[in-house]
Order: sequence, then structure tokens, then C-alpha cells
Amino acid sequence: MPLNPALRDPIASRRLGGAVLAVLVLWPLLHAAQVHPGALLDPANLRVIGGFLAGFLPPETGPEFRGYLARATLETLAIATAGMALAWLLAVPLAYVASSAGRERRTQNPVARGLLTILRSIPELVWALLFVRVLGLGPAAGVLALALTYGGMLAKVYAEILESTDPLPAKALRTSGASRPVAILYGLLPQASKELASYTVYRWECAIRASVVMGFVGAGGLGQLMDQAMKMLNGGEAATILATFMLLVLGADALSGWLRRALDTPPAARASPWGWRSAGFVLATALGTVASFQWLDMPLLALWSGESARAIADFVASFFPLDLSAPWLRKVALGTWETLAMSVVGTLLAAVAGLLLALPKMRLPCTLVLNTLRSVPELVWATITVLCVGLGPFAGALALGLHTAGVLGRLYAEALANVPPSPARGLRLAGASGSQAFLYATLPGAAPQLIAYTLYRWEMNIRMAAILGFVGAGGLGQLLYFELSLFHYAQTATVIIAMLLLSVAVDQSSAWLRRVMR
Amino acid sequence: MGFHLSGVGLTHANGTIALQDIVLSAAQGECVALIGPSGAGKTSLLSVLGTALRPSTGRAEVLQTALTATAHAPNRALRARIGTVHQAPPIPPRQRVVTAVLAGRLGQWSAWKSFASLVYPLDIAGAQAALARVQLTDKLFARCDELSGGQLQRVGIARVLYQQPELLLADEPVSALDPALALATVRLLVQDAAARGATLVASLHAVDLALACFARIVGIRAGRIVFDLPAAQVDDTLLHALYASEGEMLPTLGPPAASDRAPPVAADSAALLSIAGCR
Repeated sequence: MPLNPALRDPIASRRLGGAVLAVLVLWPLLHAAQVHPGALLDPANLRVIGGFLAGFLPPETGPEFRGYLARATLETLAIATAGMALAWLLAVPLAYVASSAGRERRTQNPVARGLLTILRSIPELVWALLFVRVLGLGPAAGVLALALTYGGMLAKVYAEILESTDPLPAKALRTSGASRPVAILYGLLPQASKELASYTVYRWECAIRASVVMGFVGAGGLGQLMDQAMKMLNGGEAATILATFMLLVLGADALSGWLRRALDTPPAARASPWGWRSAGFVLATALGTVASFQWLDMPLLALWSGESARAIADFVASFFPLDLSAPWLRKVALGTWETLAMSVVGTLLAAVAGLLLALPKMRLPCTLVLNTLRSVPELVWATITVLCVGLGPFAGALALGLHTAGVLGRLYAEALANVPPSPARGLRLAGASGSQAFLYATLPGAAPQLIAYTLYRWEMNIRMAAILGFVGAGGLGQLLYFELSLFHYAQTATVIIAMLLLSVAVDQSSAWLRRVMR
Repeated sequence: MGFHLSGVGLTHANGTIALQDIVLSAAQGECVALIGPSGAGKTSLLSVLGTALRPSTGRAEVLQTALTATAHAPNRALRARIGTVHQAPPIPPRQRVVTAVLAGRLGQWSAWKSFASLVYPLDIAGAQAALARVQLTDKLFARCDELSGGQLQRVGIARVLYQQPELLLADEPVSALDPALALATVRLLVQDAAARGATLVASLHAVDLALACFARIVGIRAGRIVFDLPAAQVDDTLLHALYASEGEMLPTLGPPAASDRAPPVAADSAALLSIAGCR
């Protein structure tokens, strides 16, 4: 290191400090997640999973099963669509109230923000479990759970997209006398509409996955079918369901890709903005939503009766007072720590694997792997990883890692492809190798998106980690599942509060990390 | 021999003819300015010399290496000896200035060295010396997105100075700089090439800058070389013929004071040379 202080890298000590801190934080987390890769090669585990996977062949294709499958698929689609429709109805006004976009002063509404945090911090599966208690088994619980969580998420992201678009056009409209809604419609939406629409479609895709998962707690659809198949270790049926599921997700993916491309095409030169495509899309959305509600035939209106209101009130009251006794709190704290460890280890695994799969050279063969990884939900992966490495948080971390690697790999690949190519080309022209140009030009160009995607995914994974325990992957989910099946509502309530606090804490640290790494 | 092109033509994939029948060579250590209206093919010619584009026809030889039309992989060893100042500096905004400058020598560094340098910059003194020549020492550890457009352009120049190439190509290197800085920067490139015996080919938008700083001027129009003369023999008639498509005015650095002068027509050669002191 040079002696001249002017020639010493001023941020080197900060980098070193950051690295040491990261190791100090990660080491106990790795320990808490009970990472033991050796279990993957354990002969007993290999035999179990080998037998299970061997059972995948031949996939079940009997006519009776095909009938079940078709009904369950339609039900899953209907749950996702109906849930999204309600979520959207909830999200638009909430986003409008919560966002600082289009306001004269950039103030956010703390009450609305707090409500959004509560809505999306409790995982949809927990909402579903609670609604199943009130409404009984069936799709209604899933639809309501989706509506609440996704309403919160959509509202938060809508608000943030509106806040991050260039505010000047809206401000100019405001100063020339336009009201806030008009300023948003004419000043912000034209810039943000593509992002808003593509996020909504992406969320619908997520809702399909989520509605499968909720089937595991009895909310109907493909998940319920999958749950039965897994419990009976019926590999043939599981294989067919998984394949159906992948087709569903890939179909939704293709549809959302088509929609995003359609949003890019310039409008035709005529007064009416409605062409056959936009009109057809609106019509299809409306028909699809109505058909979904028809198909599910949910007694949602019955919820408004005084009788069911009393039942809900009683149910809610049974959660209080919370169990805050010292031994129970200790148990919950341990579960919280385990859940945190699971989410961190899973996200890190996914980030490494995702980056490797997204590397430019390996694009083509990896697309299939990425699509397979991400079209299988975490909870389904967990049922499989539990067979591979045994019960406990390591199985959960692996499941999170597998699914998230698929998601992140795809996002990383897109981010890397969107980096302006000229810096890398410039370096190649000066004799740099492909990997040098990647390290010095492409990676720094994509770094902000890579970091942001990873941290956003971590925020999602903490919610997911909290429920993987339902299938035996440890953490808060396991506690919740046990206590709820024993009707120990006071204990359950403590766990739910812990989940909420954990999600909020992770959101805050993720926002802080994003600021630091900017 | 710096480079030698004979009968070089370049046709883009979409059928546009960018260069036709170019015959041009330069001895090692020679400094050449390319001038001509926009779209004339200056950037294409520099791209051929920089091995970014392969000539469609003709023979091209750069730094004693023949550019074959059939080679599949680019010649990295050759490229490491060629440095380019780009029109817009190709530097990721989040990169630090020190890293952006050090990246100039990636062609000479091993993979391990270039990886290690991302953890801790390995030649801070070298980067500092290169930045000193463009008056940017105070930005050594700044991030490139904190710089102005002109400062970033100078970082791009510092990167090439640090690379120390045998063939220095510059594509409108000073279009983002104000007149005084532009003059100083072009002068710096010429001096650097002269001091190291490197060949310099720069395309310049400003005719007066080219005439003032370069001994040899090559005029290009519609993909063909129109003239190739010592600067002293380039007169107004030639220049007006070259820029006929762009109207009466010749593109110059245009110090604001100059436009006030009486004849609004192009400044004559004598006035152009008044910003001399470069050669």
C-alpha cells in the first residue's frame, strides 16, 4: 500500500469493515439455518427422494384424474383472478391515499402506509388459514386472503412507482390549477402506465402460484390436489400436477410478455384510443373476472350478515390476550431467529445460483432450468427438500433458494441484457476479454438493479420463510401450524405478531441496505 | 508502419455503403485529422482501424497486423495496442473514476489482476498520473455519475492515456468540451502521441481545431477520401467543397467572440490558424 495518504483508497477501510460485519452476521445465521449440505448426499435420504422421484414415472393420465385436474386448474385460475380483482379494487384507492405522488408537498400518509404494512406483512397463507376457520374449507378463504395481501402489495408498489416517476409534468399541471387526480392522470400515468400494468400482470402470475399454495391449507384448487398426492406419496399424480402447474405459469408468463410488448407499440393515428387489442383485453378481463366469481360461487355476501359478523368478532376476540409468558416468548424468539436465518440463507443461495444461471454465455440452456425452478412454488419445493435433507430450517432455506434462484436468475438476466452495451464494447476494443468486460462494464452497469431485486426478493422471502414451517421446515410457521391445529389462539396470536414485526424489521433493513449500497 | 488501408470498402448489414475504395496509410508516429460533414464515414473509418468493424472489401493492415475478413475471434493482443477515445465516454455511471481509468489496461492485465483490482485499485498512482494530465486529480475517487459531461469525457481520455496504445484513435473527442478545454485536450492527445511515437487519428467536428493542431488533414465525404494534404495546403475552396451539404458556414470551435466579427461567412484560413500554438 502506498505511503502517500492521497494515494490510498479512502473507502477501502469501509469495504473491509462491511465484509467483516457481513461475515459476523452471516455466520450465526448459517448456523441457525442448520446448513448441512452433507445431508443431500446421505444414502438414506437419497433412497427416499429417489424412490419418490422414480414414482413420478409414469405420470398419472387416467380419465378420472384428468377430470379432477381440469376442475382444479380452473378453480386455481378462478381463485387467482377473483383474488386479484378484489385486491385491485382495494389497492387503487389505498395507493392513491398512501402515495405522495401528485401532492404539492411530498408527504406520505402514515396511517395508510401502516395499514398497507399490516396487510402485506402477514403472509397470504396465514390469512387463508384464518379464513378457513371462519368460512370453512373452500375457495372463498383463498380469494379473501389473496385480496388482502395482494391488495397491500399492489397498493405499496403502485404508490412507489408513482412516486419514482418524473414529478415535473404533474407539478406543472398542479401549478396551472389541475386537481390531484387530474394531475396524476395526465402527468404521471402516461409515464408510469407500462410499469403499473406489467407489475399487475406479474402479480396475477404470482397469484396463480399463491392460490396453488393455499390449496395446501384447504383453500381448493391444484394445491389441494397436490397436497393429497404428496401425502399419499403418489408420485405419478404429483408429476402430472407439477407439469400442469408449470404449463399454467409459463402460459401466464407468455401472456404477460405479450401484454408488455403490446404496451410498447405506438398507438394508431386515430382519435379513439380503443383498438381491437385494447378493447379485447378489457373485455376478456371483465369476462374472466365475472366468470371466476360465478365459477367459485362463494358466499361472500353472507359475510355482511350480522350473524357472521358476530362469529368473526368472537373468532378475533379469542386471539386476545396474547400469550406473553416468558417460556412461550423464548420459543417464539427462537422461531423468529430460525425464520430470519432461513430467509437470508435461501436468498443468498438464490442470488449466487441465479447470477450463475443468468450469465450471458449460458442463456439458452438455462432458460428452461430457470423456468422450472420458478414455476414450482416454495412450499411445493419444501415438501420435496424435506424429503431430501430431513425436517428443519435447512430444508426451508433450500426450498426458498430453489424457487428464488429461478425468479432472480430471470430478473438478473433481464437486468444484464438491459445494460447499455457501449461500455463493454469499449473495453473489448481495448483488448479486454469477455469476462473482464463483464466485470468492469456490464456488472457495474447492472449492479443497482441486481441489488434492488435481491433485496426485494429477501423481503418476499421473509414472508415465505414464515410459512414454510407448515410442511415441516421449522421456524415460525411450524409453531403457528401446531398451535392453530390445537386451537391455541392466544399462542397463535403471538406468533402472528412476531411474523408481522419480523417482516417490518426486514423491510426496514432492506431499505437501509439499498440506501447504503446505492 | 502505423496502418495501411488499400481499396477498403465497408457495407453495413442493412446495405448502406459507409466507406468506398479508401486508400490511406500513416507512418508510426504520424498524427492525422479526419474532417468532413456528419455522416461522411469518419466514425466508420475509425471503427475499421480500431478493429470494431471488418472491412467488406480491400486490404487493411494495422500495426503490422493484417485484418483478415475471415478471423472469427477478435485479436485481443492487437486490440490492447489500440486505444480509442469515444464520442460518448463508455463508462458505467456507478464506476469510480480510478477504476474507469485503470480499465484502460485490462487488455494487458491477467484475469486475476483485474479481479483483484476491483477489490482494491492496484495502480492508484498510475491512474492519478493520467488524471493529472486532464486536470482531474481531485476526482480520483469520485463516482462517474457525480461528474459533469465534460469531466466524464476527460476521464475517457485519461483512460486512453493510461492505456498507452501504439495507435490512438479519437472519435470527436472534444465535442462535449468548451472551446478552451477542447483545444487543450486535442493538444494533449497530439503531444502524448508525439512523446511516445504513437500514431494518432482523430476525427474532429471543428475545422479550425484540426488545422491548428494537425500536420496532416484528411477530408472525407460520402464514404470517400476527398483530399489528403498537409494542413498548410488546405484552403477555403477545398473546405467549402467538403462541407457543401452543410451550408455556408464551416463548423468551427466558434469562440463566441468570433461570431461577432463582420464577415459572417466562414472565417478564412488565416483566422482559423489564429488559435495556433498547437502544432
